[in-house]
Amino acid sequence: MTSDAPNIRGRNKWNKGLFLLCFLGPALLIYGVYTVYPIFATFYYSLFDWTGIESAKTFIGFDNYARLLGDSVFHRTLSNNLILVVASVLTQIPLGLALALLLYAPIKGVRLYRTVYFLPLLMSTVAIAILWTFIYDPTIGILNNLLADIGLDSWQRSWLGEPDTALGAVVATICWQYTPFYMILLRAAIAGIPDEITEAARIDGCTSWKSFTRITLPLIMPTIVTSCVLSVIGSLKYFDLIYVMTEGGPDSSTELMATYMYKQAFSKFSMGYASAVSFSMFVIAFLVALAILSFDRSRSRGGA
Amino acid sequence: MKKWMILVCAFLLAALTACGGGANGGKADNASSPQPGESASAKAEGGKKKLSIWHIETGVRQELLEASIKEFMKAHPDIEVEAVQIPNDAYKTKLSVSMGGNNPPDLFHSWGGGWLKQFINAGQVMELTGKIDTGLYLPAAIGNATYDGKVYGAPLLMSLTQFFYNKEIFEKYGIEPPKTFDELLAVVDKLKTEGITPIALANKTKWPGALYLIYFASRIGGPDVFTEAYERNGRGFNDETFVKAGELIQQLVDRGAFNKGFNGLQYDTGQSRQLLYTGKAAMELQVSSYISNVQAEMPGFEKKLGIFPFPTVEGGKGSATDLVGGVSPVFSVSSGTKYPDEAVELLKWLTSKKLAQQMVDKAGVVAAVKGVEYRDEYTQQLNEMLNQAQHLQTFYDQTLPPALAELHKDTTQALFGKTMTPADAAQHMEDAAKKALGK
Repeated sequence: MTSDAPNIRGRNKWNKGLFLLCFLGPALLIYGVYTVYPIFATFYYSLFDWTGIESAKTFIGFDNYARLLGDSVFHRTLSNNLILVVASVLTQIPLGLALALLLYAPIKGVRLYRTVYFLPLLMSTVAIAILWTFIYDPTIGILNNLLADIGLDSWQRSWLGEPDTALGAVVATICWQYTPFYMILLRAAIAGIPDEITEAARIDGCTSWKSFTRITLPLIMPTIVTSCVLSVIGSLKYFDLIYVMTEGGPDSSTELMATYMYKQAFSKFSMGYASAVSFSMFVIAFLVALAILSFDRSRSRGGA
Repeated sequence: MKKWMILVCAFLLAALTACGGGANGGKADNASSPQPGESASAKAEGGKKKLSIWHIETGVRQELLEASIKEFMKAHPDIEVEAVQIPNDAYKTKLSVSMGGNNPPDLFHSWGGGWLKQFINAGQVMELTGKIDTGLYLPAAIGNATYDGKVYGAPLLMSLTQFFYNKEIFEKYGIEPPKTFDELLAVVDKLKTEGITPIALANKTKWPGALYLIYFASRIGGPDVFTEAYERNGRGFNDETFVKAGELIQQLVDRGAFNKGFNGLQYDTGQSRQLLYTGKAAMELQVSSYISNVQAEMPGFEKKLGIFPFPTVEGGKGSATDLVGGVSPVFSVSSGTKYPDEAVELLKWLTSKKLAQQMVDKAGVVAAVKGVEYRDEYTQQLNEMLNQAQHLQTFYDQTLPPALAELHKDTTQALFGKTMTPADAAQHMEDAAKKALGK
């Protein structure tokens, strides 16, 4: 009997493994084919000079990457992406948190506000882009006309037409679009805090500010970290609104890595170079995600 | 009870998805749902030969084109044609992807010039020399699809560029259409004092502004200056012609001739045309399809519009009859088509005098096909301009190879935005041209 036990255990382990594989298998296969394989394929294509409209390719090794390092437009896109990352994290998450707290106060009509603040997330990105393009229109847009009405004529600008204001204008729209997402995420996290803790705090005479900073905030920190990762990665990959609102212009002031890659691939017929841009985006996003997660791990190990 | 509900919901969901997918795939010639994967393979279904054609026509032009295709199918019962309409900007991407994926349509649209050449170089386009009668078309038009004497496409319609102006506003303030650049500046000043934006411009997609550069270059340096620079046998892109053209553009910008924020406005969604509709602006330099856009957006307004040719520049070598324009559509056949003879038949049908005449009558355009009659005032004016023209300059961004075309648009937009000097813009183009075109 005892000599059989390891065999049985071994067989059980094998069965268990097979069982798991059957369930994970299909998903893993799809993931492998549609996510993992393209990453390697992109790296492969980035080693060629290729127009993308025929099968003939010329191998040029790492020349595309050398060109990338010296490309001033690419550097511009890097700084634009960085601005977007910082603006997103510093706006969307604190604002989302504030809304998450405010919009669940037990006052009349708060449900209506919840719906209203959630609406931006429900609109299609292209619809948002066209809507805000008209809002920012320098002659008939409501933003400039509003500024004129309240006497701030001098603040009027061609928001999307000038290189200085274009990026800020689009970033504002992006934040408008995604804040509701974090509002919902953080609300779910707050709802997950057991009532007993908050009640105990209230009984002990805790002020609401102390209750927020000492109880709520630490307990939702994992969700905040997740939100940060999502926001940062999303900002590094961002494409939609920029492409529809400004196409990366004027004069590359709103160009992002993703729009630059798109132009190289489809307008300039440089699929190889575009693949290099794309793979660099992947590497950057990957490293940043690793950094955030390891920072969080050390923080949680050290602090809590 | 609960389990039953879940099963019903799941079934409904599956049924809806199946219906949605089925409806999309089943429509043979619907404009709104292109399915490139299915349409591209010319399979013989029930003995019929299938051809697919991708185009960008909208409005009346689309209706006429698709009606013509239906007639073709009636005349050729053994051929089935699927027409897919794709909006202009998305079209370039979609076609490039389908070419790269070896999945292209049998017939496709282009504007001739440098963009079509890319596909020819990649071996994706069938040569048509000898298969079609080039004498049927205007030389300038068929020339745009001919490379080293070999023909790769057939043109249907042409596009000319001129100033559109609101006749009522001009009458109200006693303004005459300007013939020279100095007169244009005077008109600009006069309109500004009356609180009207002289010229509407929506330059986010960069090509509307490029029209100014092309015209100025032609007026200043004469009609051959671009060809010399492009073929690298004369003046280059850094010639003083192009520098002066940039300077004149910036002169107009400084004078306040354009509406605010033009580099952020989208032409396709009508942001510049709106200014004319609301009477806030008086003129716009645009291609001849402007009229059909106006007809669709604000029917009746087109009666208030007149046209005048781009003004001359004092001391310039070009004349007022030199035109800037393009050829669109140019239809070509993919080299990988399964039914080459049928495809060429369809090509000839769609670039016939019959369809061209219908387009001219109903869509207010100029034909690239010879022998068409012009019956309404607007198209007669255009046709006269075309007949008098000694030279037709095709749009730079449709003639140059793509990378250079993009640079041309980028530098011109920067000129308008005053973030680049005319000398720098010209030099950038010349440097890139040396690399891309040699010498």
